[in-house]
Amino acid sequence: MRLLVIEDEPRIAEILKSALQRAGFTVDVVSLYVDAREALALTVYDAAILDLGLPDGDGINLLSDLRSARNDIPVLVLTARDAVEDRVIGLDVGADDYLIKPFATVELVARTKALLRRPGGALGITLQAGNIALDTIGRDVKVGSISLQLPRRECAILEHLLRRQGRVVPKTVLEEKLYGIDDELESNAVPVHVHHLRRKLQEAQATAEIHTVRGIGYLLTETKR
Amino acid sequence: MNSLPFHSLQVRLALRLAALYVIATAIAAGVLIYQAYDTATSLNDRELSLRAEDLAAAAYRDASGAPRITLSPKLAAAYAASTDDIFAVRDASGRLLAASPPEFGEQVLRWPLAKDDPSYFHLTNLGSTNYYGLSVELASKAGPVSVSVARTAGANDLVSSLLREFIFDVAWVSPVLMLATLAIGIFVVRAGLKPVRQISRLAAEIGPGATSIRLPTKNLPAEIEPLVHAFNHALDRLERGFLVQRQFTADAAHQLRTPLAILTGALDAMPGNGEMSKLKADVARMNRLVEQLLRVARLDAIVLEFKTIDLNEIASNVVASLAPWAIAQKRTLAFVGADACVWITANGNAVEDAIRNLVENAVAHSPPHEEVLVTVHAEGRVTVLDHGCGVPVEDRERIFDRFWRGRNRKSDGAGLGLAIVSEIMRAHGGSVALEGNPGSGALFVLIFPLSRAETPGASSRSAAVMRVADNRLASDEINAS
Repeated sequence: MRLLVIEDEPRIAEILKSALQRAGFTVDVVSLYVDAREALALTVYDAAILDLGLPDGDGINLLSDLRSARNDIPVLVLTARDAVEDRVIGLDVGADDYLIKPFATVELVARTKALLRRPGGALGITLQAGNIALDTIGRDVKVGSISLQLPRRECAILEHLLRRQGRVVPKTVLEEKLYGIDDELESNAVPVHVHHLRRKLQEAQATAEIHTVRGIGYLLTETKR
Repeated sequence: MNSLPFHSLQVRLALRLAALYVIATAIAAGVLIYQAYDTATSLNDRELSLRAEDLAAAAYRDASGAPRITLSPKLAAAYAASTDDIFAVRDASGRLLAASPPEFGEQVLRWPLAKDDPSYFHLTNLGSTNYYGLSVELASKAGPVSVSVARTAGANDLVSSLLREFIFDVAWVSPVLMLATLAIGIFVVRAGLKPVRQISRLAAEIGPGATSIRLPTKNLPAEIEPLVHAFNHALDRLERGFLVQRQFTADAAHQLRTPLAILTGALDAMPGNGEMSKLKADVARMNRLVEQLLRVARLDAIVLEFKTIDLNEIASNVVASLAPWAIAQKRTLAFVGADACVWITANGNAVEDAIRNLVENAVAHSPPHEEVLVTVHAEGRVTVLDHGCGVPVEDRERIFDRFWRGRNRKSDGAGLGLAIVSEIMRAHGGSVALEGNPGSGALFVLIFPLSRAETPGASSRSAAVMRVADNRLASDEINAS
């Protein structure tokens, strides 16, 4: 998979390139607005990482040009400006995600992968965390080499948690997604499903676990060894 | 304004005006009274001189050539009827021509003859009354005659009583006039200083958030105009200073973050053995310090935009965003929201910062596997409860000071977190307090004034957009499932 990194600070570009290469991506780096335009016009990239502050132009303009040309390449925006207004502008003109400098490279790699997993994204259809793997088409869950039989709703919960692993998924979001408007919803339905799912993962000795953030929702993280 | 009455310009001016009035009145009254007595005396003298001339005109020589006086019947009757008015006339040889009463004539005979210049006398030994009079030598048909006329001292009584009445009248009116002067003085000074009070109110609104206000010089007393001009110039310079500081803050943010990003990234790429993980922790701490310094600088220099926002939503966002970090620290977060939206007028970003700082603090001071509880109350309060060792009573005053850090702590903070919270709350007209936790640990309370508008006109733009962004992710996931 081929990524374009648009970053004018050579050291950061270097670090990004090596981190993404270690994650198995092919990486091109450009440092100027004009070069970025040319690269995007000549090559089909699977995703782009864009620093907003470029020496010869504003990254925001590049992004809005891309979107108005109906290019929907996933774009992760990097910025040293963290005022809400800047983030909002970035999202408004069509950034898919943003990171504020300084950031942890592991997070950048994880977010990039998440972008590629989106519908239309290039990354495979298998979601992974620790030794858990979920095939989004076959609805097939494996922990290590053991296949795990999960009821439909537990499987759906696991999928949502895997898609946003490392981040909190609000309980209300899970409820909205699991139940149609007409379905009778019991207040503890989601906690009950999560409880069963958690027990089954533990029994299968999964190396990722589901945490509860009381009053908010759940998140799935890889277990630290 | 100064509340001490004698520091007030208007009181000082009015008191001095009143004192001036009192002194002026006293001088004027004194001069008037002196003049009146003087005039009364000279009127009396003139009256006596005229009588003396009348008497001299009545002198003539008889057939034998001897001087004589015959008064007109009316004049003779007037003198005969009154003991208040007396006279005596002598000829050049000192012989008495006429006198009324005769006892006065006898006395006058013992006096030397009068001169051209009138000589004045005070008579006490004639009857029981005092007489004032004058003697003068006048020319007549009978040659020079020496005339002495006098009237009782009491004849001046009318003038004296008039004067006394006048003085009493003035004395009575004086305090009233003085009060009136005082009142008018205060009124005039107040009216004169009204523009000064107006610009004082305007000046009170000037702060780091409103540096563009300038004081108007219209209608100002000319004496105060230079002060206002100087003040406005000082404001110009201050505004430039603030601009420089804002620019510096923005620049510093960018300039510091880029090398930190490089450092963080480069360290992340290295295999994490013992020394390396310590280095990583150091860099993480430095990141946090820079971040907090920038927040402090921003709070000091930048205008916070206020909107109507839901405290429930802000607090739950903070808990959700910090939960992964807390779990990585082996602590858990929990959230209890209010039943309905809690609308406050605030800057969403700043409120997030305040709650985040308290939660980060609470997690840092919690023992492993303990829960930090964030609760939103309907009356605009947010509480953050931990189960750490709490804050010693003797430190409670100082924990909100900048760069203050607990003594026995291996704290990796900069000592800015609680100072930032305190600044943010001050900017929102709210407060932060440390309350006693019935168990162990600390209970921090943020108190926000509730928004007066129960339904928000314009909901927080940032929160709304973040929600949209969240929904976009959510809908993607629906499509995927």
